[in-house]
Amino acid sequence: MRAFGRRVLVLAAVFGLLLLGPMGDANRADAQDRKRLVIGMTQFPATLNPYIGSMLAKSYVLAAMVRPTAIVGKDWLDRCMLCTELPTFENGRAETWTVRDPKTDVPAGNTGVRTTYTLKDDLFWGDGTPVTTADVVFAWEVGRHPESGVASQKSFEEIIDIEVVDAKTFIVVEEKVAYRYSLSGAFTPLPAHLERDRFQDPREYRLQSLYETDPTNPGLWNGPYRLKEIEKGSHVVLTRNETWKGKAPAFDEIVVRTIEKTTALEANLLSGAIDYIAGEMGLTLDQALAFEKRHGGKFDIEYVQGLVYEHIDLNLDNPILSDVRVRRALLHALDRAAISEKLFGGKQGVADTNVHPLDRIHTDDVPKYPFDPDAANKLLDEAGWTERKRGIRHNAAGEPLALEIMTTAGNRARELVQQVLQSYWKRVGIDVRIRNEPARVFFGETVRKRKFTGLAMFAWLSSPERVPKTVLHSDYIPTEANNWSGQNATGYSNPAVDDLLDAIEVELDPDERKSMFGDLQRYYASDLPVLPLYFRAQPFIVPSWLKGIEPTGHQYTTTLWIEEWRVE
Amino acid sequence: MMASQPASGGKRPLPVSPAARAWTRFLRHQLAVGSAVLLVVFVLLAVFAPLIEVVLDIDPEEVDLFARLEGSSWAHPLGTDDLGRDHLARLLRGGQVSLAVGLTVALAAATLGTLIGLTAGFAGGRIDDLLMRFADGVISLPLLPLLIVLVAVDPAELGLPEAVTWDESFAVWRLVFIISLVGWPGTARLVRAATLSIRTREFVSAAKALGYGPIRIMLLHILPNAASPILVSATLAVGNVILFESVLSFLGLGIQPPVPSWGNMLTGAQELVWEAPMLAVWPGLLIFLVVIAFNLVGDGLQQALDPKSAVASAPAKN
Amino acid sequence: MIRYIILRLAQAAAVLIGMSFLIYVLIGLMPGDPIDLMLSADPDVTPEDVARLKAIYGLDRPIIERYVAWLAAAVDGDFGYSRLFNAPVLEVLLPRLGNSLILMSLSLGLALSIALPAGIIAARNPGSLADRFINLACFAGISVPPFWFALLMILLFSVSLGWLPAGGMGNLDGGGFFDRVHHMILPVATLSIASIAAYARHMRAAMIEVRREDWVRTARAKGLSDQVVERRHALRNALLPVVTILALDFGGLFSGALITETMFSQLGMGKTIYDAILGNDYNLALVGLLLATLITLLANIAADIVYARLDPRITFVAEDGAG
Repeated sequence: MRAFGRRVLVLAAVFGLLLLGPMGDANRADAQDRKRLVIGMTQFPATLNPYIGSMLAKSYVLAAMVRPTAIVGKDWLDRCMLCTELPTFENGRAETWTVRDPKTDVPAGNTGVRTTYTLKDDLFWGDGTPVTTADVVFAWEVGRHPESGVASQKSFEEIIDIEVVDAKTFIVVEEKVAYRYSLSGAFTPLPAHLERDRFQDPREYRLQSLYETDPTNPGLWNGPYRLKEIEKGSHVVLTRNETWKGKAPAFDEIVVRTIEKTTALEANLLSGAIDYIAGEMGLTLDQALAFEKRHGGKFDIEYVQGLVYEHIDLNLDNPILSDVRVRRALLHALDRAAISEKLFGGKQGVADTNVHPLDRIHTDDVPKYPFDPDAANKLLDEAGWTERKRGIRHNAAGEPLALEIMTTAGNRARELVQQVLQSYWKRVGIDVRIRNEPARVFFGETVRKRKFTGLAMFAWLSSPERVPKTVLHSDYIPTEANNWSGQNATGYSNPAVDDLLDAIEVELDPDERKSMFGDLQRYYASDLPVLPLYFRAQPFIVPSWLKGIEPTGHQYTTTLWIEEWRVE
Repeated sequence: MMASQPASGGKRPLPVSPAARAWTRFLRHQLAVGSAVLLVVFVLLAVFAPLIEVVLDIDPEEVDLFARLEGSSWAHPLGTDDLGRDHLARLLRGGQVSLAVGLTVALAAATLGTLIGLTAGFAGGRIDDLLMRFADGVISLPLLPLLIVLVAVDPAELGLPEAVTWDESFAVWRLVFIISLVGWPGTARLVRAATLSIRTREFVSAAKALGYGPIRIMLLHILPNAASPILVSATLAVGNVILFESVLSFLGLGIQPPVPSWGNMLTGAQELVWEAPMLAVWPGLLIFLVVIAFNLVGDGLQQALDPKSAVASAPAKN
Repeated sequence: MIRYIILRLAQAAAVLIGMSFLIYVLIGLMPGDPIDLMLSADPDVTPEDVARLKAIYGLDRPIIERYVAWLAAAVDGDFGYSRLFNAPVLEVLLPRLGNSLILMSLSLGLALSIALPAGIIAARNPGSLADRFINLACFAGISVPPFWFALLMILLFSVSLGWLPAGGMGNLDGGGFFDRVHHMILPVATLSIASIAAYARHMRAAMIEVRREDWVRTARAKGLSDQVVERRHALRNALLPVVTILALDFGGLFSGALITETMFSQLGMGKTIYDAILGNDYNLALVGLLLATLITLLANIAADIVYARLDPRITFVAEDGAG
């Protein structure tokens, strides 16, 4: 038996050594002269093909390696990335044309637009091949092919032709003049010289693409970095792209590590195993706030209100909610400022409408609903919910003022807010019951098919100057008849708003558009089909030696400007 | 033999009736007795939770944004959670749910296991083989991932009416049903073994000779004699079920907030572990105490009711 | 014997096919779909896009039809693609299975190296102080919720002391082997805690049983010292039931690995299956579960065979398996 005792001792000793062994290396990150930057985030990109699947983690990593022709800039204005100049009617790169019926050649009654782009001449794929119009045309072919498995096809389908002028210049032809015509050609070129082969059978493209089978092939990348190593589910390593002629990035290597548990992410940041936590997909806001309290000095923590709009959709078919007075009372009863202050450190400002305050078209001149329980009570009395039994309001028919609120189970921030809302509403006599579902059920069934009976709390990811047509137009109310298409889950239907939405879409004058957007926001805030809560804030936790990261707040990630990041 | 007192140490003469003898033996198992007392206290606390809340003037659902994550104080003996709710009150309410689920499932699983065990033991032959193979299979499978699939199944697709599935307590009942489905083999095995040994006794043969039907013999003659193993395995099962419930709820697949259970109270605690470590300690500690208490009581019962088999016993571990 | 093994393997294959159908249908009953989720995540994805993508992935066909197609391909060795990882499922699963097996065998090793001595010490003198202490510790180990134990470990070793990482597989190329081990201490400790307790109890029971047997008493009567008897005779025989239990416990180990890997962000099978189920990745969840079941079944068969090999008293009857 002593033998056993000895073995245990030896084992304990080995474990002890292993435990102490690596401790001395904790500060390794400091020692490597900051030639390498390790970024931590909570998601791993399932695929690296720019057109297959749609997830933030992918956009984030790709933006360092392959760039779109044009984007929305850090200043929320449209900017060229690979092109020389954005087409406008003023500079002559955009012009209208009369659409004719292809058979009879008779004008079809509408006007189209032709936009001319020229690619910069110092753009090369990582194998030295220049980026040309052939790559643009190929990307369009992939994008519009119904079997290629591209996530979002609409913008490609709207392009009826791309005319090649020369190796660098192309004209995008569309049959409709939308106000965002300047970005008609704003998509990511694909390396035709490598990928065209793989596209022979479009159905197999999503599996056969070199981005899947040989992602470290330098020819796939045209940004400041190219892919050096990928370990699915764990990390990707990017290295300098030798053929990049733009501003040289400061780091030789960028490592993006995925650690799904935010607790572990935070611990890794403190241990030096990662340098920086991406705000786009990193810590939750309250974790960042707590982190700032403890370790604020060593990190620059920036909170950016993003375009993720947290709100509550109301099912307007519910007789209780079809009364606008009840909807307004619901909002008056909430102290959204206190929620923001207490739960989110005041970093998440209260939203009045669905338009972000940084958006050019935002207006402050809308009806507002500050915390005012008296006003809420008054409105509810007017709406006929006068009698209070055991604290809950009832109407003359004896029906209780009871509603159901749903959200995604497992999203802690939402579940917390939801319980706070419930207690606020209880105080004015509204009985709100919570019922949550996993995200895939909630979005896949409940919201999409309008199965929620009362309130549904979730977020929309928006983009600057977006026309919320699919969300507010009455043609976009999902029904069985239209195969549940459309995202107007509230069932909101206002002819004036429908007209406005149609008009904004084709209004080319920016100032006129801004004023129309203003009207839209006023309708939104007075009809209240949706209870606005706030725009979600993203915490960027940057070590104080790392400079140049400028959070955008919109869907284009900071890595589009990764060559500007530097050590100071 | 696992007892705190060796079985050989029977100094006092044992009472004559088997029940009284068992009771005396149980009382000698100090840990089991202590555990039983603890469990009674927990059950009383859970049952009288509403009363306690009134006396202490706390409301488990009262959200107070201005008192988040507070430490312990006179107003909040165990502090407050991330919404400023009293943690003690939440723990009491969570205890109601966890204990109710544990006891219900154990009862259901024991019933199911008893029926299957009786059938297998009494029928013998192919039926016995089939049922026991099935039991072995259920025990040896990777249960947790399978349970996760089961929990994720859409009840509406199974044809359940929406009125049922939209009820707040539906998630609790679904959990009870699913854990019961996989919790029966332990009991089934014990009952089968008992049935096999009882089947050959004289009074069963006599009953058969009198022309009694198999169901009557099983229920009236065999079942009462197999009561001890059923009681023991049901007690041990309660602990296991509470563990299972807590794991599933922790993973976000069991009891859903705002209904508190000890398991789901720990879900959020992991993210707050730096700020409010005690939120991660209390619910887990209670699960631990209740589960170990049920296991010890089960051990005590086993030794009291069937001292010979106690040596080889070990609660099933999933 | 050979016939018996073949029979058991055939049974296992039948079980696997049955399981594959059951799981396929169950997963099919899970509502929602990753493609539906894209609708909510990306404002540019339209419902038309969703319908088109579902057709591409074959999700618009009835479930039985999809299952038959899957099974036919699986027989040819093509287990399908994981949609979460956009790669063949085996390519995703095998490295993760490797990670899980490392984790599982390390914790198994740790568990045995603590449980066996503890069980032996306890069995030496039943009712003694040492026995009672070990007994209570075993009950504690069986009763502690594994995820809570993991939380406490994180709280103590990562938050308070800062000695061990709270999760992850290791730094990149930073520490190599030692770094990897450094990251595995907490997961291994968490996964082994319940096994230690269970094995120690079994070991103790088995030792007591063996010590009572006639030939052990005879050996001792012949004048062999207690320790020699214990080591040479009793131990070997007592290990027999423990080995069996160990193999039968394999399924439980997978369940434990699921919790451990999820808590500590380890890229293993358990976590992959969990993510696949939550993410509605049909193929990945299905093949993962089947793989786990297969390994469990094989372990069970191995246990039976080992048992028969070691214990001459047991013979196999092809009809009803192990006596």
